[in-house]
Amino acid sequence: MRSYRALARAAARAALAYRLSLLLGMGAVLVQLVALLAVWRVVLAQSPINGFTWPQMRAYLLVAFAAGIVVSILGDFRMAYRILDGDVALDLVKPVDYQKARFAESLGGLWIELALIGVVVGVTLAFTGGVDLPAGAGAALFVASMLLLVPLKFLIVYVSTLACFWTQNFMGVQWARLAVVNLLSGALIPLVYLPHWLATAAQWSPFAGLTSTPALIFLGRVDAGEGLLLVAVQLGWVLVLWFGARLVWRAALRRLTVNGG
Amino acid sequence: MPIVEARDLTKVFRRPDKGSGLAGSFKHLFARRYSDKVAVDHIDLSIEAGEAVAYVGPNGAGKSTTVKLLSGILVPTTGQVRIDGLHPQRDRTTVAHRIGVLFGQRTQLWWDLPVSESLAVLRDIYGVDHATYRQRLARFDDVLELGELLPVIGRKLSLGQRMRADLAAALIHGPQVVYLDEPTIGLDLAVKDRVREFFRSLRDEGTTVMLTSHDLADIEGFCRRLVIIDAGRIIFDGDLVGVKDTFARERILHVETARPVPLETLRDSLPGAEVTVEDTPQRYAVRFDRFAVSAGQVVTVLAGLTDLVDFRVDEPSIEDVIRRVYSGELVLPR
Amino acid sequence: MRTARLYLRLLGAHFRSLLEYETDFLILAGATVLMQVVNIVFLAALFAKVPVLNGWTFWSVLMMFGAVALAEGVGSLFFDGMWNLAWHINRGELDYYLVRPYPVALQVSSAALGINGLSNIVTGSLMIGAGLAHSAVDWTPWRVGLAVLLLISSVVIKVSINLATNAVCFWLSSPSPMFAFAMHQVGDLARFPLSIYPLALKAVLGVALPFAFISYFPIAYLLDTGPSRWLGLLTPLAAVYCAGVAALVFQRGLRRYESAGN
Repeated sequence: MRSYRALARAAARAALAYRLSLLLGMGAVLVQLVALLAVWRVVLAQSPINGFTWPQMRAYLLVAFAAGIVVSILGDFRMAYRILDGDVALDLVKPVDYQKARFAESLGGLWIELALIGVVVGVTLAFTGGVDLPAGAGAALFVASMLLLVPLKFLIVYVSTLACFWTQNFMGVQWARLAVVNLLSGALIPLVYLPHWLATAAQWSPFAGLTSTPALIFLGRVDAGEGLLLVAVQLGWVLVLWFGARLVWRAALRRLTVNGG
Repeated sequence: MPIVEARDLTKVFRRPDKGSGLAGSFKHLFARRYSDKVAVDHIDLSIEAGEAVAYVGPNGAGKSTTVKLLSGILVPTTGQVRIDGLHPQRDRTTVAHRIGVLFGQRTQLWWDLPVSESLAVLRDIYGVDHATYRQRLARFDDVLELGELLPVIGRKLSLGQRMRADLAAALIHGPQVVYLDEPTIGLDLAVKDRVREFFRSLRDEGTTVMLTSHDLADIEGFCRRLVIIDAGRIIFDGDLVGVKDTFARERILHVETARPVPLETLRDSLPGAEVTVEDTPQRYAVRFDRFAVSAGQVVTVLAGLTDLVDFRVDEPSIEDVIRRVYSGELVLPR
Repeated sequence: MRTARLYLRLLGAHFRSLLEYETDFLILAGATVLMQVVNIVFLAALFAKVPVLNGWTFWSVLMMFGAVALAEGVGSLFFDGMWNLAWHINRGELDYYLVRPYPVALQVSSAALGINGLSNIVTGSLMIGAGLAHSAVDWTPWRVGLAVLLLISSVVIKVSINLATNAVCFWLSSPSPMFAFAMHQVGDLARFPLSIYPLALKAVLGVALPFAFISYFPIAYLLDTGPSRWLGLLTPLAAVYCAGVAALVFQRGLRRYESAGN
């Protein structure tokens, strides 16, 4: 446990050392928030669409932003380059579990991310007006959903980074992942706006848990029962991906040892 | 007019001070502190066309920084540089045609291209016509055996091969002034010899060469002028041979006598010299100043005391002298 | 002319080695196309519910997305080396560039070739083309010429902003081009009509970092839509201004270059 805590601290320290990179790396998420706020403010000025009013959409976008920032100090670039350079072999001799070690690193930066979310959400609310907070069961489900989002997001990034064992190209895989996640998680547009078949597919995919689930619970657009189901789906995907990632890792190691790094 | 001229050249680097640990990084977020490091400290240097100069000094003395200032890579903090009367930054393009630079630690070859292609790209950048280009390649092939390297991809060259190819790259445009910064670093002896041979041919053709090295074997037999830099300042600028005369006046005579001689007797008969017993009795070392007394005189005195079996005079090599200058054992007058 | 020829020569030097990594190209091309597809799905989903956004139709906003993609694609394909500037500075790798008789900025930008730019150029052009096909522009030779000029200016602006923002790395000690990357992200705001943004953002995108001249202003002029559409005619001026500023920032930055190993 101590070694994982040390890894987490080291990750936070690395993130702080390049604090500018850290702040700016989150720019993409922030820019999307600004653009979408501007678009929806105009679109929803007269009447609600698909049941979304402007204050609701604003709350949705803020939750989407928070969900987008959490676990974004990942060091996935570092991980990718260590795989591509073959340096990953050095990580293997360390007496820590590779997957848990990377997870610990992504947790290390969490408090920095939370601070940033606090600032941006605070500023946005100050400029555009407040939002209604969920209460009772809704609040509990929202917290549970946000907590599950942490391992879920880590696992999606982790598995896609493991693709470097096969592709030699990290950038392309990452772009593709970002594009898919952006659309299917509901970060770009709430899933109800998508064609029905696509929305349904997205709803059951692991990606919905990255934005849509916590956002819909926050807005109270799902009742307690539906909310519970959505969170259960999130949890299911966390478990599937956690053990699935181990299988991928084992296959990757075979590849590494066969090819000699 | 000197072809390279530096006046009052100073370069100060500014480095952020970071505390250690998470707290240190955090503090640096809000309060930035810096420390200044003077890498080159008020240097005056002028090199005449056709001159070959060795520029030496211990690691971190400011050698590479000087070369980078003289080639216009760095902008001096104060002072100025003129290459053939031109300003290295303002007239960068013109100056670039006249100078060639080799950094031994760094390659300018394209890592994913064959050497021949890297050289061809450089040919086009410098606008060298094809006939001249072929002529130069042929010459590089003579001295550096470049031919065998031409089809090799940059990243697949060994260190020695890379240095030979990089030399060709630095000289493909026939520069008037060449800066060679640590050009033999990491090379094996055979390649070193070949590269040194090449430097001599450059010098003989009248190219102005400034050679920076901490391998002093590079400079012996190559140039007459020696500049020594230490802690950013030039502490010697003069004749290579003169260094020995000026700063290494001392000689050591190792002598073996037929019978033991009391040390006091030897010391009394050789005032001004320092006599010590060596590993076996009957062997002595006499340390003397060659301008106070000649080796012949010492031998004559000793021969008057006893029969001499054998003797040998050691004079310090230039390497020795400079090494002792670095270590502070020998202090050169300013 | 010699400068341009030499530029293509330098760029082309990387082309052959790039072809060795065919799967790389396919993955990158696939990813960039996917990103544009996601954008189009988003726009289609949005405009399925609202006919116009501040007076702008689906097709005109698609053109803006296309213009940003095209400019970005040209930036990647021909000037991708800029994105390695931070790394070069950090490692002291500009040394040799500085002693060669060719503009340092051009040596930097030609040092890499982003083959993925090709797919952005193609998808961007298709989006612009589709938008124009659904517009009621009255094409005269003069308008065609003007459209081409606006397009070139738009690309020049994007590339100049890339250069200037990457050159900021001379002042920052970061080994990655994060500042430029963040500004590049800000540029994505220009994919939407400028009129939807609050005044401060309009000022940023119209003046400080004139991304709006890549897409919004020239398209507003061409389609004769929106308020102050005449501003689109200033696009070539904006291009000249941006190129000048970028060159100045780069030159200033170069004076601060400290190489490495001190």
